[in-house]
Amino acid sequence: MGLMSDAPEPDGRTPDGRTVERFRIVVLPHLDSAYGFARWLTRDPVAAQDLAQESLLRALRYFHAFRGEEAKPWLLRIVRNTWTDMRTRYAAESESLEIVENRAADGPDPEQSAQAGDRRRHVAAALAAVPAEVREVLVLREIEDLSYKQIAAVLDLPIGTVMSRLARAREKLAAELRGRLGRRDHGLSDL
Amino acid sequence: MDCPTCEAMVDAYVDGELSARDSAEFETALAICAGCRKRLEAARTMSNLLRDLPAEPAPDLLRARIERDLRAIAGRPRERAREQLRWAAIAASLIVAVGLGWLGGNLTGQGGRQSDEMIAGYLRVAMAETPVDVASSDRHTVKPWFVGRVDYAPPVHDLTAQGFPLLGGRLDVVDGRKVAVLVYRRNQHRLALTVWPATAAGDTSPDVTVRDGFALTRWRHAGFEMRAVSDLAPAEMKSFATALDRAIDTGS
Repeated sequence: MGLMSDAPEPDGRTPDGRTVERFRIVVLPHLDSAYGFARWLTRDPVAAQDLAQESLLRALRYFHAFRGEEAKPWLLRIVRNTWTDMRTRYAAESESLEIVENRAADGPDPEQSAQAGDRRRHVAAALAAVPAEVREVLVLREIEDLSYKQIAAVLDLPIGTVMSRLARAREKLAAELRGRLGRRDHGLSDL
Repeated sequence: MDCPTCEAMVDAYVDGELSARDSAEFETALAICAGCRKRLEAARTMSNLLRDLPAEPAPDLLRARIERDLRAIAGRPRERAREQLRWAAIAASLIVAVGLGWLGGNLTGQGGRQSDEMIAGYLRVAMAETPVDVASSDRHTVKPWFVGRVDYAPPVHDLTAQGFPLLGGRLDVVDGRKVAVLVYRRNQHRLALTVWPATAAGDTSPDVTVRDGFALTRWRHAGFEMRAVSDLAPAEMKSFATALDRAIDTGS
């Protein structure tokens, strides 16, 4: 966690042209993932862009410390840590965090594909509504398709804790979804 | 295998995190345990629902912003990225323009977010290899293309005679509403014109703003809000607006 928390220039080095070049090849291809993760963390498209941009810049500054591990979890970990720092600022600058937390349905808009059904909307709203700790582990596992080991790296947790968190998160999301669907049948009777 | 063990393995099984041996053991246990089968079904259903959510790729505007940052840090642009970086610079200038309220005239009065979408739209036109969805200089091809795609009939006029050949049209989404974008060419430059029905009455004359060599023009004519963006000289932008207004008025 401490590795990439706050200090802007860990060793005073500014990345040179060749570092930027390597960064483009190794890290930049994961921008979609970084943005997608940021979208679910922030639940706001504008804040997600700010977060993704800030994270990429931070990643570049720490890139000299990148030792050829997997780039995607490495970048997502930076996104998450950057958000931890940024959300305080966001809370102070605009609305109170509580309002953000309660603005339930603002995940990525599944209606963008016009034919997307009721079901997707409910799932997106439920995922946006559950607590951040529940949401992040589900997004990493199911949407970003990370393994337990990779999730452990992003969240800086032991694998055992990832497993128990994931199990709890699935239960929570199922409960949230059931609450939203009420008794209507959306083919989710198994939940 | 007793049931608590079996139950604890459901998630790892769904997530493909069990060894081959453990998986086989789990499947055997599953056959005699209805409770765990139900749990497995629920976990699978949940997993599929989440995976079914549409992915939202990083917006063009974000890419442009990051390009600009990388370029600033690297000190000098790479040769093959030069063209892209030029547009990144344009993105930067547009952000400034929006900060100054250039885009005004919101569709729904919501502000910020919509402006971002519109800039991203300009960038798509500017950066894309194929900037249009329907490529034609024939207004009788382009205009019908918009039918059923946007909920209004945008004015479509080829201005080749005035030095602005029509390249075609495309759609963009601003504030959740589909809008028509017409793409014109002036020598080697592209010009993107976004058009939507005005809510305010009366025509306004073209207002050209220049930021870093980039011309932004806004005006209202014949019941339409017009927003044009290009890297043309201001005088040329003005003559484009004048030519378009005349074409609309004379129906040519």
